[in-house]
Amino acid sequence: MLLPVTDSKIVARRADIVAALETIVPGGVVSDKSGLSTFDSDALSAYHQMPLVCVLPADRHQVSEVLKYASAEGIPIVPRGAGTSLSGGALPREDGILIGMGRMKRILEIDYENGCVVVEPGVTNLNITKAVEAQGFYYAPDPSSQIACTIGGNVAENSGGLHCLKYGLTTNNLLGVTIVLPGGEIVTMGGKCGAQGGLDLLGLVTGSEGLLGIVVEVVVKILRKAPVTRTLMASFDTVQAAGTCVAAIIADGVVPAAMEFMDGRAAAAIESYNQPGYPAGAEAILIIDADGVEADVSYAVSRIVEIVAQSGGKSVEATDEKQRARIWSGRKAAFAAMGRLAPDMICMDGTIPRHALPQVLQEMEKLSEQYGLGFCNVFHAGDGNLHPLIIFDVMKEGEFERAEAFGADILRLCVKVGGVLSGEHGVGIEKRDLMTEMFSEADLDQQHRIKCAFDSQGLFNPGKVFPTLSACVEQGHIHVHGAQLPHPHLPRF
Amino acid sequence: MSAMSKESEIVDFVRAARADRSPFEIVAGSTRRAVGRPLGAIPKLDVSGLSGILKYEPEELILTAAPSTPLAEIVSVLAAKNQRLGFDPADWSQLLGSNGVTTLAGAVSCDASGSGRLRHGGARDSLLGFHGVNGLGASFRAGGKVVKNVTGFDLPKLVCGAYGTLCVLTELTFRVYPRPTHFAVLALPDVSPEIGFAHLRKIAQSALEPAGLAYLPGNIAPGTGQGSALIRLEGASQPLEEKIALAHGLLGSAVVRFDGEDPFPTIGNGEKFARVEGDVWRVMIAPSDAPRIAKELGAQYWLGDLAGGLLWVAAPSSEGARIRKIAAAANGQAMLLRASAEVRATHGLYAPQPPALAALNRSVKAAFDPLSLFNPGRL
Repeated sequence: MLLPVTDSKIVARRADIVAALETIVPGGVVSDKSGLSTFDSDALSAYHQMPLVCVLPADRHQVSEVLKYASAEGIPIVPRGAGTSLSGGALPREDGILIGMGRMKRILEIDYENGCVVVEPGVTNLNITKAVEAQGFYYAPDPSSQIACTIGGNVAENSGGLHCLKYGLTTNNLLGVTIVLPGGEIVTMGGKCGAQGGLDLLGLVTGSEGLLGIVVEVVVKILRKAPVTRTLMASFDTVQAAGTCVAAIIADGVVPAAMEFMDGRAAAAIESYNQPGYPAGAEAILIIDADGVEADVSYAVSRIVEIVAQSGGKSVEATDEKQRARIWSGRKAAFAAMGRLAPDMICMDGTIPRHALPQVLQEMEKLSEQYGLGFCNVFHAGDGNLHPLIIFDVMKEGEFERAEAFGADILRLCVKVGGVLSGEHGVGIEKRDLMTEMFSEADLDQQHRIKCAFDSQGLFNPGKVFPTLSACVEQGHIHVHGAQLPHPHLPRF
Repeated sequence: MSAMSKESEIVDFVRAARADRSPFEIVAGSTRRAVGRPLGAIPKLDVSGLSGILKYEPEELILTAAPSTPLAEIVSVLAAKNQRLGFDPADWSQLLGSNGVTTLAGAVSCDASGSGRLRHGGARDSLLGFHGVNGLGASFRAGGKVVKNVTGFDLPKLVCGAYGTLCVLTELTFRVYPRPTHFAVLALPDVSPEIGFAHLRKIAQSALEPAGLAYLPGNIAPGTGQGSALIRLEGASQPLEEKIALAHGLLGSAVVRFDGEDPFPTIGNGEKFARVEGDVWRVMIAPSDAPRIAKELGAQYWLGDLAGGLLWVAAPSSEGARIRKIAAAANGQAMLLRASAEVRATHGLYAPQPPALAALNRSVKAAFDPLSLFNPGRL
């Protein structure tokens, strides 16, 4: 993936920019090489880029002042939470200010009466749950990185997780956000009343990948923890049988809290890694959670057991909390387990209609042979969200490029069968150049016009999400700033 | 003007309107035209011909329909497969006294959802993708046709509740859900608003996943003394019985099973106010503020839905400014749903937003419809 070309004029002004930021955020500017190297990548670790400078504001007013300054000076901005993006959303720019939101990590209010929590963006996903679990509540979206990822990042990426089949993505669990716009204005959308009195801009900014504004406060919904959760593990001799089983469960009207699929390769790798007890020789394994009140869960479990048997699978139920945790520990260690098979790996993220699963799996096998690279499949079967893991060795000539090409072909395949490029990781830099596979020029133009409505200078996270960046055009006029076209330094990809 | 039935015809219509700079009103079933700022006498684009279910895959939980498909048709096709729409659409026909056909895009555009919003969210929470024609006369697509998608900006959220001011919708794809086989309504009669709402919040914060939580004062629900708290629970038969038992455990023995007709559709559709005089407002607030705000509003006819997060209020037109003020002071929103054209012109659908937010709303509107051709001023 091509990184945007650096504006050397901005880089030349680095000392002035650092000094100006130190005035705005005293003691919160990182400008030395070793400090900056901490921020040179996110979880899409194949890409590295040192930021021009990193600033760590302590409150919304500092964020606002930084953005006013950046806007006046025409300096690109890259927002960052905990840096756990798998799509390169927080990859810095050599000519850009990286704004790290980690210092703003206060829980401002816990409101059990109205079932919500008000937090600053740097609070981790898991810490929201930790703050309310003693009272029997939790925050539903649970991305795998929840121990580290921040709620601000979750809003930016519209993060999902294992349980979004039943409980939705971040966007379905928010009541309000306060963001700072590119010009420094602070705007609140929604709140405890759950209404906005106009367009649903809360829905728009959620998942906008740092292209529209910087989140400085979030109101999230919290839910009462289900009194009963039961976990089943089902194994199948063929991938097709597992696919049929998933479709039959959904069609039956049961809504599991989670339904995870692993192919035989993933299961074998995991079993040798942390021995969760996955049956040897299975070609596919499903892990299914049902939660709710006792009778609801009993009913769901009995239906699922029956459907698994009808689909030719064998199911076992975790008998206690310890075994439940053990079964899940395998799924959660999928990354680490695959990491043993090869030094490097990329995790793809596309969604397909569930009925296309057998076809997609077959074609992936062919691609694997064609590219000469191994892979395995773990995915959120309930909602058709695939996470193929491609393994390679970056030290071997050409393997990284082949792995990227393999991954891109998988995503093209997802789109071909009626699916999408990203189910939960976002587009970022990783899938940017594939956007034209899914969207026409007119589709992208409409999205780009919205980008311009927020950020006419094109300073927010440039180079991410959109494959081509043209100037903001409105009613036939081009917005010209400082006698220059916006982002003249960016190539037209 | 005859109804259009093809996207290409709409593209031509919009391009012509654009060339003439001639704004127009988008109509189909005509049941919600009397909501929002009146548009005056401007040309109409009749899209009622864009009707019909285009694709329904029950096992994928996906339904794609043309925008003007009657809601009744969608509900019955889904019910035949034991499924339901992802949201609980509200039909305002009785409230507004309108004769027409309630359509899918009408409910989406007006963000019209009933008591089930508590559990199922609004149209925004299940609209996966759409096709539309923007104010440049370009047809475009947004979102996708799978249940989980974060590719690009989430434009489906924006068209929900935009009152047709962003684009002409030409196709909608929804996530649908299994329909629970059974439901029950529980009632806690003769309770004050304070106690009634407190009980509703207790259920809202439980693991019972209620699908409706309303409080009806005695004059709205005759024979219930001071008023009645109503709870709707759903599930398969045995789980439902367990939920009812749990609700009894939480609220005590005064809770009774309500055997009459399900009251929630009439609550969610605003039908309780169909024959009540005055303007009808939907005041959205934090649920715990409900008893206090209800008292402050002091309306003769009112009720609370969404565990108190929504107060339906009937009031004389002279009360408009005061209602808005009370809602604003509670960080809420007062939406004017039913009033004369004159009153709607004065108050608009919502209160004016803070300047920066209002500017952002205008910019986003202009990003779709720079010449303000679609339903100008309605939102």
